[in-house]
Amino acid sequence: MAITEDRPLALESGEVVTKNNRPLGALTRPQSDVGWASWFTTVDHKKIGIMYGVGSLFFFLFGGVEALLIRIQLSQPGNSFLSESLYNQVFTMHGVTMVFLVIMPMAAAFANYLLPLQVGARDVAFPRLNAFSFWCWLAGAIFLNTSWFLGGAPDGGWFAYAPNTSATFAPGNGMDFYAIGLQIAGIASLVSAINLIVTVLNMRAPGMTLLKMPIFTWMMLVVQFLLLFAVPVITIALFLLTFDRSFDANFFNVAEGGSPLLWQHLFWIFGHPEVYILILPAFGIISEVIPTFSRKPIFGYPFMVGSGIAIGFMGWGVWAHHMFVSGLGPISVAAFSLSTMFIAVPTGVKILNWLATMWGGRLRFNTSMLFAVGVITMFTIGGLSGVTHAVAPSDTQQTDTYYIVAHFHYVIFGGALLGMFSGFYFWWPKVFGHKLNEKWGKINFWTMLIGFNVTFGPMHVLGLQGMARRHHSYAEADGFTVWNQVVSLGSFVIAIGVLAFLINVVVSRREAKRNPVEMGPDPWDARSLEWSTASPTPVHNFDKDPVVQYQDDWWHRKWGTNDEGTIVRIAHPEDIADDGSNTNVHLPSPSYWPLVLSFSLPIIGYAIIFSLWLLIPAGIMFLAGFVGWALEPADDPEAAHGHDDHDDHGDNHDAATVSVGAEGASVD
Amino acid sequence: MSQKESPVGTASQSDTARRPSTHVRRRVGGLAVAGGSALLLAGCADTPLDTMAPESPIANEINNLFIGVGIVAVIVFILVQGAVIYMARRFRVAPPKDESQIYPDEDFPEQIHGNTRLEIGWTILPTVIMAVVAFFTLGTLFNLDDVSASDNRQIQKVTVVGQQWWWEFQYHLDDDDIPDIVTANELVLPVGEEIYLDVTSRDVIHSFWIPALNGKRDAVPGRTSPWTIEAGALGRFPGECTEFCGLSHAYMEKWVIGVTADDWQVWADNQMADAEVPTDADALAGWEVFSAQCASCHVLNGLTSLNDTDAADSFEIYDGANRLIDKQTQVSGAAPNLSHFASRSTFAGGIFELYENIDDVDYLDLAQAGDLNRGQLEAWITNAPEQKSNAWDSPTGQRGMTPFEALSSDDVDHLVAFLMTLD
Repeated sequence: MAITEDRPLALESGEVVTKNNRPLGALTRPQSDVGWASWFTTVDHKKIGIMYGVGSLFFFLFGGVEALLIRIQLSQPGNSFLSESLYNQVFTMHGVTMVFLVIMPMAAAFANYLLPLQVGARDVAFPRLNAFSFWCWLAGAIFLNTSWFLGGAPDGGWFAYAPNTSATFAPGNGMDFYAIGLQIAGIASLVSAINLIVTVLNMRAPGMTLLKMPIFTWMMLVVQFLLLFAVPVITIALFLLTFDRSFDANFFNVAEGGSPLLWQHLFWIFGHPEVYILILPAFGIISEVIPTFSRKPIFGYPFMVGSGIAIGFMGWGVWAHHMFVSGLGPISVAAFSLSTMFIAVPTGVKILNWLATMWGGRLRFNTSMLFAVGVITMFTIGGLSGVTHAVAPSDTQQTDTYYIVAHFHYVIFGGALLGMFSGFYFWWPKVFGHKLNEKWGKINFWTMLIGFNVTFGPMHVLGLQGMARRHHSYAEADGFTVWNQVVSLGSFVIAIGVLAFLINVVVSRREAKRNPVEMGPDPWDARSLEWSTASPTPVHNFDKDPVVQYQDDWWHRKWGTNDEGTIVRIAHPEDIADDGSNTNVHLPSPSYWPLVLSFSLPIIGYAIIFSLWLLIPAGIMFLAGFVGWALEPADDPEAAHGHDDHDDHGDNHDAATVSVGAEGASVD
Repeated sequence: MSQKESPVGTASQSDTARRPSTHVRRRVGGLAVAGGSALLLAGCADTPLDTMAPESPIANEINNLFIGVGIVAVIVFILVQGAVIYMARRFRVAPPKDESQIYPDEDFPEQIHGNTRLEIGWTILPTVIMAVVAFFTLGTLFNLDDVSASDNRQIQKVTVVGQQWWWEFQYHLDDDDIPDIVTANELVLPVGEEIYLDVTSRDVIHSFWIPALNGKRDAVPGRTSPWTIEAGALGRFPGECTEFCGLSHAYMEKWVIGVTADDWQVWADNQMADAEVPTDADALAGWEVFSAQCASCHVLNGLTSLNDTDAADSFEIYDGANRLIDKQTQVSGAAPNLSHFASRSTFAGGIFELYENIDDVDYLDLAQAGDLNRGQLEAWITNAPEQKSNAWDSPTGQRGMTPFEALSSDDVDHLVAFLMTLD
């Protein structure tokens, strides 16, 4: 925590500052931090993290159903289960949903919940902006999906190649929903990136130098920088697309001198860093899980950090490998082929370091560890098939076939998603105060892993046999039938695996309610600061500001080395962890305005698509959101925080009271 | 849409094109890369679009590169997977009796934080592997870019034009810009000659791909991308569109037909002849239907061409060869040239067989000896959008063929009779 102060402010004169200038009416900040209504106004990073998690899982079911529809359609040659038009909408929305509405917000769930905890802070730097990010994302997600009922979903592919997405070739509203919906969700990512970067750089606990941060925090920091630079690129591309479609601009219109390849470059300059935005969070998660369940520190910490940063940098120089068949010319192709191959080096370093971390360890294969090891093996397959794509001449055969569908599902499902599931099992007790059931966890893992391989393994074969992707159907004579049936079968096994996870959530919660087990702060003997406070995390995170001496500081508080060099216990976690009993913590007040401001954005979207008259209510709401945000008191002394029962008369000076966030501190 | 046809093999030529034994052998290589089960795959049906069954020197070079890199990838995977399995067996510990205690106290492995030498080692190792892969990749890349077309070749180049949802091939046999042969969906080539292609599009991006002969090249509107193709053997080689192009992206096939150089010359001479007004009464009636219903989109060389361009402001020159079509009809301003429709083996973007016995008849004899697939052709003429989704009624302009349900059955019969004279 960089910003701390005593509260209430004691003036030099000894006069006590009293707060009698509270505004009235709508500008009063909401009070409650319990009950369902509090979720709409919360600025607590933990609640926001949970909402990201719930939201991403909700859309995960959406995207999953879309995947199953695709697989039903392709389970028979010449099938007409879905019409061509509907098929195009479904596969477009499957991609858009899984990338923007599932993996990214799921990573945001972990980042929001864990980054402040891991760096020893009480919240993110800008709590209201954090709430704004979440509601913006949700507004964009809902907006995108309302397209199903308003003339048809986007049908130009998640990559939306111009000019197939122009008003001429996609006359429906679908691609407008795509362009504007992603724009809104992009605001969420951008704002959140700035918020988390400031949090990590400015709000680390005393003593936590950059090279003492947990790897998860490091990878998330890299991701936020990638977002910070990548999102503006897609923002521009989406604006150009919206202007082409809605206002007769000609950025991609060949007849008027526009360039379709401009879209491809913009999309992939965003799109390839986006791949690392999707995968690095999972790398961070398993870099926490594997050491914990190997009972060893991470192997080669500086190299893990360095390779993550290297991936972040090199990720900017590989975008045109998506365009090897676009006709760039052999010199460009050669350059991007080389850069793509060499990004495999830092990735390989990471894999070898995880293996070295496990080497000689005490491996506990609980569900979290199984998922983490699943990432190592499955991602390796995706990485290696990625190398075969970097080989540009052979990519001209494999690109846009099912081989590449297999490749990126091994990366994004086998890497990112399995990593997040590892994270769910790992941090569930911290968030909800009880573990997930191990028996259901094993069922969850094995059905998902087997289903995943049965689904995406044969896609390599189908791709090499020449089955093109995004094809509505195939002919019996193409010889693709048998493997497609296997693939479709596998997709339903995955669905069972996901169902097992949901069952696990319910079963574990019921069991925890029926038979509450005293959940220690640190059930896994873990290493980073989030385990040094009670589970579930108290609303104020830490009773006192953590002070950090070591990398893996929490572990070093529990364990030391005796004279013989043997590791001995210094303390039990229950004895040294915060119990959440400190009530003298001042936290930022909830606010209505992030919600108001963010939900004005989809109305602007509807205005662009349907009628510009809608801009009037949208504009009023937008301005109200802005004005309310600006005018509401930054810090409402009357606002209760449940735990904030300190009196405001200043006779409590010795207690460690802390105000959170740049917003609160600057005004107080 | 189950009408897609059997893709490979005309008559005598197809035997050389297929070579099932090599298919199986090569596919096993590909399968190892996929990490799947070779046994299961070897039992599978023939796959005419196979990327690992090269029938040309170019495709062969690509395939060899892929197999080489694939072997490296499989070795790396086996090492990583082996390490994981080994460690999972050797280092796993049983779960504790008491779940609240994750590990027995003070049972620690050696706490190793890292090893700089190892790190440097396994940074250099993948770098070296990648450098080797890069060496062969760049070699192949520039080698493939070095086209070996001969100076006295029969075909100067072929302009490949993608359009929703079919392909046009414009042959240039001399150095002028006017195409000498314009045909659709079937690219007939003399075997063993590397042909220059200029790939472009009239509407959205498509991708030209014949897996047995070469990789893909996108057809980007407003650009012409150079590419080459060589039919390394006699036979029909199918290819799908592989850049998503809208509704009927899956139903946009094209074929390369490899024929002998002599056969190719026979074919080309025939293609360069103009279409003629038929003498047969039915066909003549069909020509009248055609000129009333079809000629505003479809060109017949010598019949629908207007020589007096000033007389037709609403027409524009199609493919540069004084062939005129109505500007108002299609978004792209073009539909397949039907001058030699009956000489092709397929129609409707290469997805329906025009003759039922294309596997048994020599490609050049199809118009004479083929058994017409009459039902499919009539269904296509009367209601094309029902046979293959298109956007003929799009509010932003027609893309694809209009339904002609008002045609009487006599009209359709006559039209088919006329079309069959276009050999």
